[in-house]
Amino acid sequence: MSTDTLFHRITDYAHRADPYPLYAELRENGVARQEDGSYLVGTYHEIAALLHDPRISSDVRHLTDPGDALLRVGDLPPSFIGLDDPEHDRQRRIVMRPFGPPHSPGRIDALHGDITRIARELIDAFRGKDRIDLVDDFAYPLPVTVICGLLGVPREDVPHVRAWTNAVIAGLDFTPGTDPQRRRRAAGEARTAMAHYLEELAGSRRGHPSGDLLSALVNDAGPEGQLTTPELMTNAVLLLIAGHETTVNLITNGMLTFLRHPDVLARLRDEPELMPSAVEELLRYEPPVQLLPQRTPLTDVEVGGITVPRGAPLVLVLAAGNRDPLRFADPDRFDPARQDNQHFGFGSGIHNCFGAPLARIEARIALTELLRHLDTPRLVEDPPPYRRSPVLRGPRHLLVDRVGGG
Amino acid sequence: MQIVVDLNRCQGYAQCVFLAPRVFELHGEEALMYAPAVPGEQHEHVRRAAAACPVQAILVGEPAGDGAAPSGAGGPADAGPSSGAGGGRAGVDGR
Repeated sequence: MSTDTLFHRITDYAHRADPYPLYAELRENGVARQEDGSYLVGTYHEIAALLHDPRISSDVRHLTDPGDALLRVGDLPPSFIGLDDPEHDRQRRIVMRPFGPPHSPGRIDALHGDITRIARELIDAFRGKDRIDLVDDFAYPLPVTVICGLLGVPREDVPHVRAWTNAVIAGLDFTPGTDPQRRRRAAGEARTAMAHYLEELAGSRRGHPSGDLLSALVNDAGPEGQLTTPELMTNAVLLLIAGHETTVNLITNGMLTFLRHPDVLARLRDEPELMPSAVEELLRYEPPVQLLPQRTPLTDVEVGGITVPRGAPLVLVLAAGNRDPLRFADPDRFDPARQDNQHFGFGSGIHNCFGAPLARIEARIALTELLRHLDTPRLVEDPPPYRRSPVLRGPRHLLVDRVGGG
Repeated sequence: MQIVVDLNRCQGYAQCVFLAPRVFELHGEEALMYAPAVPGEQHEHVRRAAAACPVQAILVGEPAGDGAAPSGAGGPADAGPSSGAGGGRAGVDGR
């Protein structure tokens, strides 16, 4: 059995700006046991099979080191992202009821006007500035405003949400040498504070619905009934954090990619109808979620000729699968019109991103409006400074100079 | 515009229902219903839905000779219209 240090190197912040050579190495090596006992998978077809394999558990209570459970809130039960069926299915259905089909099919589509208005307000606010930070001035405030509005978080509370979220995301930093106890504690406290805040907010809507998701979750009930209070708290935290963190990176990675490919940028200006397919290609080429670090085989499972033993941490490197030459022709090329693009940008299988439709609409509108209103944008530094996390990967800042334009 | 959904491929992710709720509909939890002839004001929604389908099961066909026909000849080799889904039109494109 070979051991490797690839996971160590991938999580090393020094490789954050360009992890793709490491992913190529991973695909060539095949499935390999890492020095910490985990198994890394980076080839498309193997990842696809594992994402659809009921023997591979997402239940965070199976983790060897549950202290690292993503988005786990104190003593509360896991949210549905950290559960297996049938419990995952029950909770996801309940939360889907006010969000999407079959019960609320038009809800996300109806946000089109609001999202466009928010994007234009943000763009108006930096008119006249020669230099903008695309993250702080646009890519962050847009999805935060959208998800807070959708859930029912009042605008004046958004700064609290930002502070809590930053602490939670900092807890996902696996960089060797950082103090895991300290970041876990800070992240745990932030998740708990957020959960109690959302519980209180939802409670205030009981009997006083105001048209948002929290109101629906405490006032309406489908065939599955309602979430218990602990379930409501833990899932509301999930929706709030996952509902914007990743979209920030999708928008920022999008502009960065366009600025690095001026031909693509020019083409998208001429053919805005290409943007939906360009967003899909971004999800393949620079996915906001690079890897899924928290799956566990419930039995010995053979993957790519290697037996991954029951209970071993299994890390699915989605971003490596997205560039597998056995699945995608010319995978390192950014092609906004790529056909047959079944990427892992939103995962696959039963845990396929809950918020994918919202993220798609936000990214499409955000990038379309930016291209429409930013004349001759120029990248100030390449690569830009990155955020710490190797899981939720994206620039911390993206400075863009505007030459001319209004 | 005509559409065909390859129901052998469809896995009920429902992304099309989110993006084009007037064209695609879930019947119960998983069965997909859709209107094969798409009215003009829904074309853009349908193109978005086709791009977003996680299993690329939506085939969008423009009338032959229409200048707005999607570029790129044909989709994945195994994405032909399924029997019973009403497809097989000339100009159908796996986009």
